[in-house]
Amino acid sequence: MDDNADPRERMNDDAILDESKMKDLILDDLIKMLTDMLEISPTDIRPDTRIFDELDLDSLQLYELVVDLEEVYSIRMPDEDLDNVSTVNDVVDLVFRLSTQSEK
Amino acid sequence: MRAEEAELSERLVRIYENVLLTEEQALSKGYFSDLSNVEMHTLDAIGPYEARTMTETANDLGVTTGTLTVAIDRLVKKGYVVRKRDESDRRIVRISLTKNGKLACRIHSKFHTVLAKRILEPYSPEEQKQLIKMVSEIDEYIASQLKRYSGSDSIRKTAKNVAMEGRRREENG
Repeated sequence: MDDNADPRERMNDDAILDESKMKDLILDDLIKMLTDMLEISPTDIRPDTRIFDELDLDSLQLYELVVDLEEVYSIRMPDEDLDNVSTVNDVVDLVFRLSTQSEK
Repeated sequence: MRAEEAELSERLVRIYENVLLTEEQALSKGYFSDLSNVEMHTLDAIGPYEARTMTETANDLGVTTGTLTVAIDRLVKKGYVVRKRDESDRRIVRISLTKNGKLACRIHSKFHTVLAKRILEPYSPEEQKQLIKMVSEIDEYIASQLKRYSGSDSIRKTAKNVAMEGRRREENG
């Protein structure tokens, strides 16, 4: 049974690596969408930037972002989930969670 | 009891009118001022996700496909809806929302959730449950009343039955 421990551990590492890699990709996409939409520099956006307070995103812009993200990642982002979003990272986490869910 | 009946009936009518009016105002002052309330609900019936057939959508809206075709023509022209032929069956035309259509749809449904949220906010969870229960009962009661009238076939059948019954009674009597 010992020989099972190794691959299982490695698989876990891979999953974690995949998760952070995927989140990085989502963050890149998101930063690009936000900079295009708001005409700001990518350096203005950090993972902990608050999208409504700091970036001044209004509801139309939020939904523009949502519609784009839904299309790119083939996901559905319900309003209940969006209500809990406040930072750039929250959006990344949500997109990651929804896109890994839909694969299952 | 009279006063209560009068008050409830007045309130019901006013809620109905004001929800419609608020929606219209929100639309005309908002980003999608070229959409009427009916058009907005047509977009809602198509929904932001899968492409739908005309028949499905017309059924959901309770209109004929003819009526829907006219509405869709206008929405296509305004850039909210696209028509596409089904890949596997070229006879079927599917309609779906453009990016602008999706945006309008999402913002509109947000309007409804925010309205509901504000209405529920002042109440405790227990009161909220109670309120929803009572409103649901009102809804079900009114829906059951509507069912008695909807479907012109059943009305016609009823009318025919009444007429035949009357004739039979005349003949027998």
